[in-house]
Amino acid sequence: MLSIDRISEGYLILITGLLIVFSALLILVLFFKYGLPLLLYSYKIITKKRVIKIGKQPKKSNEEFTGEIAAAISTAVHLYLNENHDNENAVLTIRQARKLYSPWSSKIYGTHNRL
Amino acid sequence: MKKLFIIFGVLLFLLFIRPIITNSMEVQTSANTQTTKIQETATNQNNIYKGAYNALLKFYHYTGFANATSGNLLMILIGIMFIYLAIKFNYEPLLLIPIGTGIIIGNIPFVAGNQTGIYESGSVLNYLYFGVVKGIYPPLIFLGIGAMTDFSSLIANPKLMLLGAAAQIGVFGTFLGALYLGFRLPEAGAIGIIGGADGPTAIFLSSKLANGVNVLADGTTVKNLIGPITIAAYSYMALVPVIQPPIMRLLISKKDRKIRMKPPRAVSKKEKMIFPIVALLLTTFISPSALPLLGMLFFGNLLKESGRTERLAETARTKLIDIVTILLGVTVGASTQADIFITKDSMMIFILGALSFVIATMGGLIFAKFMNLFLKGDEKINPLIGAAGVSAVPDSARVVHTEGLKSDPNNYLLMHAMAPNVSGVIGSAIAAGILLSFLG
Repeated sequence: MLSIDRISEGYLILITGLLIVFSALLILVLFFKYGLPLLLYSYKIITKKRVIKIGKQPKKSNEEFTGEIAAAISTAVHLYLNENHDNENAVLTIRQARKLYSPWSSKIYGTHNRL
Repeated sequence: MKKLFIIFGVLLFLLFIRPIITNSMEVQTSANTQTTKIQETATNQNNIYKGAYNALLKFYHYTGFANATSGNLLMILIGIMFIYLAIKFNYEPLLLIPIGTGIIIGNIPFVAGNQTGIYESGSVLNYLYFGVVKGIYPPLIFLGIGAMTDFSSLIANPKLMLLGAAAQIGVFGTFLGALYLGFRLPEAGAIGIIGGADGPTAIFLSSKLANGVNVLADGTTVKNLIGPITIAAYSYMALVPVIQPPIMRLLISKKDRKIRMKPPRAVSKKEKMIFPIVALLLTTFISPSALPLLGMLFFGNLLKESGRTERLAETARTKLIDIVTILLGVTVGASTQADIFITKDSMMIFILGALSFVIATMGGLIFAKFMNLFLKGDEKINPLIGAAGVSAVPDSARVVHTEGLKSDPNNYLLMHAMAPNVSGVIGSAIAAGILLSFLG
C-alpha cells in the first residue's frame, strides 16, 4: 500500500515537474522571442532624440550652405589632419621585457664552449 | 642555518643521553648496595625492551596495514584508476584528479576516534566536507560558471532553450526508476538529479534531500547518498563522449545529421545584459528553491556582461572556481570511505545514473526531431544538438560537434549546441528546485 502511494506520488511529481520545467523555459523563450525585441524597441523610442528627417528639413537653412563652402571645410579638415600626422608624439616608451634566467638561452651550456 | 642545526643536534643528544645516564646511575647505585638490585635493573632493562616491543605493536595497530579492509583497497584502486583515466585519456582531469586523490585519502585505513576520518566530527576533512553537506560549494561553482558562460547563442535562437527542458526527462525518469527500486521519495529525488548531468546541482540537491540527517514522516532518517550520487554524476559526465554517440547514431538518421543550421544572428550588448536579470527573475519566481544555484549563476553572468565588473568576473571564473573545485573534488572523493560507500544502494545508484544519462540524451534528441516537424526551410534544427540538452557543459556540446563533423566535415555545430547546453544547466537547476520544493 505504502509503496503504491509512493509511486503514484512519484508519477505526480514526474508530470508536474516536467510541466513546470517546460513552462519555465517556455516563458523564457517567449520573452526572448517577443518580449525583448519589444522592450528594446520601446527603449529606443523613449531615448530617441527628435531628429528632423531629410525630407522635412526647412529649405531655407540650406540656401547659404553651398557646395563651395562644403569643399572649403573639407579641404581645411583634410589639411589639418595631414599636418597632424607630421606632429606625432615623439616620446617613445619601450616596455622592457623582463628576462628571467633560462638554461635554454644560457651561454654556459652552449655547444661551442663546453665545460 | 648552521646554528639551528647545532642547537637541534645538542637538544637531540641531550634527549638520547638522558635514559642512558639514568640507567648507568641506577646500575652504579645498585652495585654499591645489593645484588638483588642488579637483578631488578636487569628486569628493568628487559621491561624496556618489552615496552618498546609493545609500543611498536601498538603503533602497528594504528597503521593502515593493520586496519585495511578489502573495501579500502578496492576503493584505493578505483581512485588510482580515476587518476589514470584523467591523465591518460584526458577525461575531465580537473575533476577526476582531485576526486581520485580524494578517494585515496578517504580510504586510508585508520583507527576511529582520533578525529582523522571525514565522517568524524572535528576532523579537518570534516570541516572541509561541511561545504558539501550544507551545499555551500555548488552555488560558488555556479557563480564561476555564470561568469564564464556566453549566453549569446541562446539569446539569438531562444527556441533551442526547450531542448534543455526536454533533457530533464532524464531527471524525472530516473526519479521514478529509483522509486520502483525501493528508494524513498527524497532519496529518489536526489538520485534522479544525476540525469541533470550537472555535478554541482547533484551535490546541492543530494545534500538537501539525502544527507543522512533529515528525518522522514515515519520517523526514519534518510540515507546519506551524497558520496555515491556525486561520484556517479561526475564519472558519467566524464564518460559523456562514450555514452552519447551510440544513442545519437541510433536515433538520428544520416540525412538528419547533415542538416545545416543558419548561423546565429549577432546579439547586442544590451540583450546580453538584460538576459541574466530577466532570466533570474523569471526562473526564480517559478522555482524559488533553486535560488542559490540560479541566483549565483545569473549573478556571475551579470558580472561578466555588465562590462563594469571585469575584475570580479575574472576572479569568479578563474581563482574562485578553482579553489572551490579543489576543495569540492577532494572532499567528495574522500567521502567515499569504503564502509559507507560500498553498499548495494551505491551499485543501484550507479546503474540508475547510467540509465538517466541515456534517457536524458534520448529525450533531447527525440524532442529536437519533434520540433523539426513544426519548423520549415532553413529554420530546421539539426536534431543532434538535442543531445547537448543534458548539461555537462561543455562536453556534450563538443560531442555533438564531433558527431556532426563525422557526417559532414563542413558542418560546425558547436555554437548551436552551446544553446541547449547552457539551457540544460538552467533546466536542471529548475528541476532541482522543483524536486526540493516537493520533497524537501
